[in-house]
Amino acid sequence: MNPHAWFVEQRAAFVARALAPDEERAYHEHLADCAGCREAVEQLERDLAWLPMGLPPAAPRPGLNQRLVAGALGARRGAPRWWVPAALAASLVLAAGAWFWALATTRAFETQLAGERARLAEELAMVRDTLGIIRGAAMVRHASIAMDGRQGGLLIFADERTHRWNVVVYGLPAPPAGETCQFWFITESGMVRSVAVPSDGRTPAFLTLPMPPNARHVMGAALTMEPAGSSGGAPAGVQLAHLML
Amino acid sequence: MRFLAVPDARRTSPRDESSGPRLLAAEREGGLIAGLRARDERALVELVELVTPWLLAVAEAMLTDRDEAEEIVQETFTIAWRRIDLFDAASGRLVPWLLRITRNRAIDRLRARRRQVEKLRRLEAHGALGTGSVAALEPDESAAPGWHVHTAVHHALAALPPEQREAVQLAYFEGLTHSEIAGRLGVPLGTVKTRLRLAFDKLRAGLASIRDWVV
Repeated sequence: MNPHAWFVEQRAAFVARALAPDEERAYHEHLADCAGCREAVEQLERDLAWLPMGLPPAAPRPGLNQRLVAGALGARRGAPRWWVPAALAASLVLAAGAWFWALATTRAFETQLAGERARLAEELAMVRDTLGIIRGAAMVRHASIAMDGRQGGLLIFADERTHRWNVVVYGLPAPPAGETCQFWFITESGMVRSVAVPSDGRTPAFLTLPMPPNARHVMGAALTMEPAGSSGGAPAGVQLAHLML
Repeated sequence: MRFLAVPDARRTSPRDESSGPRLLAAEREGGLIAGLRARDERALVELVELVTPWLLAVAEAMLTDRDEAEEIVQETFTIAWRRIDLFDAASGRLVPWLLRITRNRAIDRLRARRRQVEKLRRLEAHGALGTGSVAALEPDESAAPGWHVHTAVHHALAALPPEQREAVQLAYFEGLTHSEIAGRLGVPLGTVKTRLRLAFDKLRAGLASIRDWVV
């Protein structure tokens, strides 16, 4: 028997898969090169296509059909689908957006928090500084002020170490319209305008004042009611109080 | 052998295979294929309900294990759903394509797991062939889709001489090779080859009338 005759004779066995594994491999290789056998085998497969149905059908166990459908669909769902990368990308965008939002929010909060912390630190420093001046004051002076039937006063804590004063003005009514309460330093060279004292008629005013620049020895302080907007070098209004160190 | 059991009147209720049902089935098959290609899950559901008993019968006959048979059928439907593009309608029908996948997968599993020896031992221990665990559809399996095809194949197989029928049973339905059949039956290898070749020649002629059928 020539080699090709063997392949012709074994066509049915090949279709039935009754050949041994090595024979089956050889047959596959032969089919790749032999169109005649290939066509003959394909025809034989078509002729015997229904042969497996010679067996009586087997009853599926309960629930098998549903499991088979779910299994096949599950395999499909496991395969890449067009919306999977889109959904993934959308998720990433959302996640990135959320991350940026959270980051921005966090940063804004951190900025706000830092500002608040700085403000509190500044206030704490001011309070400490004020207390330091009060505690370290070499001199404390007080003057009573009677104005419009109310009794107030001017209190000065003079810190020689830092050359600053803590000034408290309390108990005064709000200035009349067009006037402002003005604080003055009394120096050897004359009166030196300092700051306008905020006064709302209800709460005391606390001021921490450095000594005026270019001023020679400071001897005391005065409080006057000056026309609003005045800026002259000498008091022009009514004197409310004055203190000499 | 199971497939040669004498059919009773109920199972072989006469029907006209050449007219109405065949045309309807052809349309149904075309609809199934179109549905699968369109990724219509309803087509998959219908296909599973239609052919699972037949695929299961093939896989279980070869593997003699219901769990493994179900795994093979699952693989077949997974291929049908995911790779329907592999199916060439010009070269055959959908159900035979699925039957071939199932059968080939079952044989591959048999060989890959080297179960042949165990199976032969089991067959030896049980004595005669044909005592497998396949649970046939009852009581009205003649109503199962494809029953008319089964009946036609059954008649073609029944027409074979007993020794050829036995060889077909072992080779085609139980996945044994020439050598294994020869060992099982205690006959020369050449005798097995001859019996199979003659059997398939007759089956080709016997099944020619249903070659283009559809379930």
